[in-house]
Amino acid sequence: MSAALGKLLFIIGLAIVAAVVAITRKAWAPAAGHALPSIWRIAKITVAEARRRRVIQAVMVLVVMIIVSMNFFSYLSPHEQSRMLISGGLASITVFGILLSIFVAAFMIPQEIENRTVYAILSKPVRRFEFVMGKYLGALIILGAIIGILTVVLVGVLVFQDRLVQDLPDSKFDPNLGPVVFAAIMSYFALAVLTALIILISTVASTTMTVLSAFIIWAVGSLQSQIYELAENAAGATKLLLFIIYNVVPKLENFDFRHQVSNMMPVSVISGWHAVIHGIGYTLVVLILAAIFFNDRQV
Amino acid sequence: MSNEEAVLQVEGLTKIYRSLFTPAGVKAVDDLNLSVRRGETYSIVGPNGSGKTTTLKILLGLIFPTGGTTSIFGKGISDLSVRARIGFLPEDAYLYDCFNGEELLDFYAGLFGFSSRRRAELVEELLSLVGMQANRRVPFRECSKGMRQRLALAQALVNDPELLILDEPTSGLDPAGRHQMTRLILELKRRGKTILLCSHFLAEVEEVCDRVGIMYRGRLVAEGTLAELAGEPTEILITVTGLEGAAAEKVGGQAGVMEVRDGVVRMSKADEGQLWAVLEFIHRAGGVIVEVTRPRPTLQDVFVRAIGEEAK
Repeated sequence: MSAALGKLLFIIGLAIVAAVVAITRKAWAPAAGHALPSIWRIAKITVAEARRRRVIQAVMVLVVMIIVSMNFFSYLSPHEQSRMLISGGLASITVFGILLSIFVAAFMIPQEIENRTVYAILSKPVRRFEFVMGKYLGALIILGAIIGILTVVLVGVLVFQDRLVQDLPDSKFDPNLGPVVFAAIMSYFALAVLTALIILISTVASTTMTVLSAFIIWAVGSLQSQIYELAENAAGATKLLLFIIYNVVPKLENFDFRHQVSNMMPVSVISGWHAVIHGIGYTLVVLILAAIFFNDRQV
Repeated sequence: MSNEEAVLQVEGLTKIYRSLFTPAGVKAVDDLNLSVRRGETYSIVGPNGSGKTTTLKILLGLIFPTGGTTSIFGKGISDLSVRARIGFLPEDAYLYDCFNGEELLDFYAGLFGFSSRRRAELVEELLSLVGMQANRRVPFRECSKGMRQRLALAQALVNDPELLILDEPTSGLDPAGRHQMTRLILELKRRGKTILLCSHFLAEVEEVCDRVGIMYRGRLVAEGTLAELAGEPTEILITVTGLEGAAAEKVGGQAGVMEVRDGVVRMSKADEGQLWAVLEFIHRAGGVIVEVTRPRPTLQDVFVRAIGEEAK
């Protein structure tokens, strides 16, 4: 039932996208030439602003230190150390990415409204959807840069450790770099979906509500298979509610390859791509809704 | 006034804020009608909560009206071509505080699609116009209130707008800052800009505006040029020295004289025919006439009168 419902909701989502695009085509088509530079400008200033926020820099240094410090668990065997480094490193990247995604996305639009910086932008020839898209693109660039840096640090640590132990007898460190990078990229896609959803919520809710909802969505999104099992065993209204949650909340666990990678298990790139394509469709629907809601918001 | 002359037109504008606690709503703007002509400087004045900023926010499309219509250059504000011809200075200058003047102006100019070369030129021109060249690299959060306000005005001018909407441009500024801002507004007026201005500072409004609309409880209670609002002088004031005691009392008893106090003889404008007789009497009584004036009511007087009548 849930798989069919999921496909149905996905098709409905795509149909909504198609309908909105068709209906609003006349409105945005002449402005499309103008929209992209505006979106890019807003994204750039969002990135520049984040670069100057000390808190992001401080937390990032902390995460780098955590990843690097994992290198010094010398009491573990090289194989165990490899597992721990990959698992701990990817977990640090994911957790920091989620916190950052919530921190950046939940505050982005509400803060612009509270600080009234939005007035000087929306009184210029900038459409509201361009503002929302610019903010989202900015968040994607910030998250991409940070996940990228942290992945490079993790890979560097793994390579360093590999060099350190390669001469030891009876040791197979096997840093498994390709899957590590793949898992980090998949984490980034999960954050992209989560960020879009947080932005959607932030267009209608207060900052506190947005942050709270973001944590709940992250928790629920990471436990979707358990929710599916619960739904299968439930009855009546509870069953329906759980199925709705299962189908509406993004399946963030589909992007999570940490377990396979750290346990040297084979990684299914196909299922990764499936998750990415599903995530892109979901994100599109969510962003269109965010633009529609923000369009009607009084600032 | 024909529509072609009007750059900005507001008809029957109403805004009601509703919330969970006020289901009936609070009327912030009530059936407002106004128009601003090309090249004029129009000011909306009114006490706090009279609906001035709400009106501006509706005009800019930041909030939406409950009723009525607004048009700028004959079109709705959702039209991008309209916003390309407008400049807006928000109250209390809210700009990104971690960027400096150069970066901010470059960003806002970029929103109009200017090339990087043109943006660089614009940044120079605008920093020079608002006198911020020396402080061009000071982050906005470290700028003084006056510097912030000048930068905010500069961002409103990046597109060389035909219509400038200024919300409390001198709010929070010290007298020197207020003077500087008033001079800038006068310069923009000299350059032919149409200006819609909201302000608490009536003296500044008197200095720069051609027409004034007085708002109270969301309604426009008086509108016109300063002369129209003030009306004709109603009295004649004769400033005199050396007129004291019994002499002053005698002058006070002359036909047409309403009052003699603190060296000033007040006559009703209706009794202007008696002026020469009174002047001669003062002279004979030993008084020295310093000046004779027919003062018009100030905007402050007009404002207080209009608000007072409405409050009744």
